[in-house]
Amino acid sequence: MAYMSMGEAHRRITDYLNRFSDAVSSQDVASLKQLLSFSSNSPSLLSLADSLNVFQDANRLIKQSDNYSPFADITVPLFRSLQHYRTGNLVDAYLAFEKSANAFIQEFRNWESAWALEALYVIAYEIRVLAERADRELASNGKSPEKLKAAGSFLMKVFGVLALGTVHLCRSVIRSIETARIFDFEEFPKRDKVTYMYYTGRLEVFNENFPAADQKLSYALINCNPRSEANIRMILKYLIPVKLSIGILPKDWLLEKYNLVEYSNIVQALRRGDLRLLRHALEEHEDQFLRSGVYLVLEKLELQVYQRLFKKIYIIQKQKDPSKAHQMKLDVIVKALKWLEMDMDVDEVECIVAILIHKNLVKGYFAHKSKVVVLSKQDPFPKLNGKPVNS
Amino acid sequence: MERRHHSQSHSQRQQRRNHFSSSSSSSSNQSRSNNRFSFPKSSSSSSSSSANDVRDRRRETQEEKQEEAIVGTCPFMCPEAERLQRQRLRDLAVFERLHGDPRNSSPALAVKKFCRTMSAKEVRASDVRPLPVLEETLNYLLSLLDSTEHPFEVIHDFVFDRTRSVRQDLIMQNIVNDKAINMFEKIVKFHVISHHKLRSSCSSSSISPLHYLNLEQLTKALTSLYNLYEANRSSKPIHEKEAEFRSFYVLLHLDSNGQPVGESLSLWFRHVPSPIIKSKEMWFARQALRYFQMGNYRRFLSTVAAEASYLQYCIIEPYIDEVRSLALCCIHNCCYKLHPYPLGHLSKVLMMEESDVELFCNAYGLQTCIDEVGNKLLPTKQTTFCRPKGGLQNYSFLGFQQLGSHMLSSLFYNHFLLVPMKPFSHVDGWN
Repeated sequence: MAYMSMGEAHRRITDYLNRFSDAVSSQDVASLKQLLSFSSNSPSLLSLADSLNVFQDANRLIKQSDNYSPFADITVPLFRSLQHYRTGNLVDAYLAFEKSANAFIQEFRNWESAWALEALYVIAYEIRVLAERADRELASNGKSPEKLKAAGSFLMKVFGVLALGTVHLCRSVIRSIETARIFDFEEFPKRDKVTYMYYTGRLEVFNENFPAADQKLSYALINCNPRSEANIRMILKYLIPVKLSIGILPKDWLLEKYNLVEYSNIVQALRRGDLRLLRHALEEHEDQFLRSGVYLVLEKLELQVYQRLFKKIYIIQKQKDPSKAHQMKLDVIVKALKWLEMDMDVDEVECIVAILIHKNLVKGYFAHKSKVVVLSKQDPFPKLNGKPVNS
Repeated sequence: MERRHHSQSHSQRQQRRNHFSSSSSSSSNQSRSNNRFSFPKSSSSSSSSSANDVRDRRRETQEEKQEEAIVGTCPFMCPEAERLQRQRLRDLAVFERLHGDPRNSSPALAVKKFCRTMSAKEVRASDVRPLPVLEETLNYLLSLLDSTEHPFEVIHDFVFDRTRSVRQDLIMQNIVNDKAINMFEKIVKFHVISHHKLRSSCSSSSISPLHYLNLEQLTKALTSLYNLYEANRSSKPIHEKEAEFRSFYVLLHLDSNGQPVGESLSLWFRHVPSPIIKSKEMWFARQALRYFQMGNYRRFLSTVAAEASYLQYCIIEPYIDEVRSLALCCIHNCCYKLHPYPLGHLSKVLMMEESDVELFCNAYGLQTCIDEVGNKLLPTKQTTFCRPKGGLQNYSFLGFQQLGSHMLSSLFYNHFLLVPMKPFSHVDGWN
C-alpha cells in the first residue's frame, strides 16, 4: 500500500462523511447502501479504513461539524468497526458494528418514511456475516461463540415479532402500525406488503374474523410473485379454509398444483354432503391441522356439509315426486345418515334441522309431532354468498 | 430442611448454568464458559426451531431469576411483624381472630395477606414463607372451604386473597418443581369451584365483581400452571392431571366471539403436546367445543351430562345456560305452530327437570298449556318471546348433583375426580 499522507486521509474521511449525510438528506438509499456494505470489500471502504489508521482523530472531526455530528452515534462506532475489520479483529469489529446498527435503527424510526429499508437490509446482512466471523474467531481462541446469538437479538428488533410467531404480542404492534400516520403502507416494497398481509391475515384466521382474513390473504395472494410457489402455497394454506367457510370451493387442480391435498377430502365432503368423509379427513390430518391452526375453522364446516346433504335428499325427492319434495321426513334423514355410518336418533336430527333453520342455512320449519321438515317452496337452501355462517 | 432446600437449589443453579451459553450481558462469563459444553445453535441455523430459541431465552431468564430469587425463612403462615401490625390496626379477617377478638390473632390463625410488591429486591427473606410452610398454609386455607359458619362469599374472599399471596411467595422464590405444580393445581381447583359457587349466589345477569376477579385469577393461575408443566417437561413428560387442567382452557374459551383473553384457541392448540390432545379429558373438551360452536344443543347437553367431571362442569356451566337458551329459541321459532312442543320432551332436550322447564319458559316470556290428557305443552311462535331481564336462576341439570359444601375439601385429596356422573346418581357416588 502506497504511503498515504495525512491530508489525503483527511480528504477520504470527509468524503465518506459527506456522502453519508448527502445520502440521508436526499433519501438516496442506493448510495447509503454502499457506504455500509463492509463485506463487499470495496476499494473505497478499504481505503477508508487505511485512512482512519493514518488520520486518527476522525471522532473529533465528526463531532465538531454540524454536517456530520447528527449521525455521530452511527458513524463513530462504524468507523471503529471498519478499522477493526481491516486489522482482522472480528470480535471488536462486530461489537462496534452492533452499536452502530442500533443507532441506525433509532434514526430509521425517526425518519418520515421507510426509504432506507434497503440500507437496513444491508445492515442486517452485514451484522450476521460479521457475527459469524466473530464467532469463528472466538471459537478458535477457546471462547464461547455468542455473537451470532446476539446478532439474532438485534435482528429481532429489526423484524419485530411477526416472523417468530409470538403472535399474541402482535396486536399492539399491528395497532401501532395501522394507526400510525407516519408510514404509508403503499410506500413499502411489495414484498413487505405481501409479508405483512400474510401474517396479519393469518392472525385473523386464528381469531376467526373471516371477512378480514379473506381480504388480507387475498391481497397477499394477488400481489405475491407468481413464480414463488412456496409462498403461494403458504398463503393458500390459510386462504382455503377461509374461502371454504364462506362457501367458496377451490378447484382440484389448485390443490394439486400447490400440494395442498390435505384439503381434498374436505372439499369433496362439502361438495357431496358427506359427513363421514369430513370427519375422516379431520381425523387423518388432525395433527397437521392443529399445528397450523386451521383445525377449528375446518371443523366448523360441518353445518355446511349438513346443508348439502339435506339439499341432495331434497333433489332426489323432487325427482321422485315434485309435489311432495318440500316435505322431508326426519326418518329419511336418519336413514341417510345411517348409510353414512353416522348413528343419530330422530331427536338429534330434529336438533340439527332446527339449528340449520335458525342459522338460515335452511328455510322452513319442522313439525314435531309428525316428525317432518317442511321446506320453503322458494330457495330452501340459501347460499352463503360470501358470508360466513351466522351465529 | 431449609438448608437442604437451599443447597439443592444451588446445585440446580449450577447445573442449569452449565447447559446454556452465557448471556452477553454478564461479564463474568469467561470464567464459567468452557468449550467442553455444546451450545445451542443460534437463530439463523436451520436446525434449531424458533421455538427452541424462545425456550432457551425463557430458561435464561429463569436462570437470571434464580440468581435474584430469595429463599424464604418465615416459619409461620404469617410473618410475625405483619401479624402484630395487623393486630394493632384491627385488620384481621374473621378467620384470623382468636375467639372472635378483632384485636387478637395467633400464629395458627393468621395468614399472610396479598400485597403488591414493588420488586423482589425490596423483600426480606423473613417475610417470605419457604415451600413446606406454603404447603401447610395452602392445606389450611382449603380446609376452610368446608366451613358452614360463614357464607361462601366470605370464605371465598379470604381464601382468594391468601392463596394469591401463596402464589406470590412461590413465584418470588422461583419454586418450579413438582410440589409447585401440586399447589397450583389445588389453587386452580379452588378458583374453579368458586367460579361455580359465586355464580349461584349472584342474582343479576351482570357478573358480580367477585366472580369476575375470580375468573381473572383463575386464568392467571392456570397460565402459571401451564408454564410449570412446560418447565418440568424434561423430568416428567406428562403430569398426571395435566390433561384435565389443559381441558379447562378450552372450556373457558368455548365462545370465540367473547372477549379474547390471551391466545385464541387455534393458536393455543398449536403448542399442546400430542398425548394431551389425545387424552380423554381433552377429547371431551374438544367435543364440547365442537357441539357448542355448531349449536348442536342436543349433543352438547347430553355429552356434558355423561362425561364432564365436576370441575369441568363448574367451568362449562355458564355455557349450559347459553345452549339451553339457544335450544329454546330454535324450538320456539322453528317449530310448527300447530304442534305445541311437549314439555316432557323439552325436558329431555334441555336436560332439565320438567318443573324447571316450565319456569325456564316463563323466564323467556312464554306460557305453557295443557292438553286433554294432562300433558304439558309449549305452544310455539308466541309473540311474547323475549330475553330474560334479570339473570337466570339456577336450574337443575339432569345427571348432576350439587356437591354438598361439606364435601368440597375432599375434592382436593380425591384422585377420582374424573368419574363422570351417571344420570340420577347420588352425591355418594363421588367417593
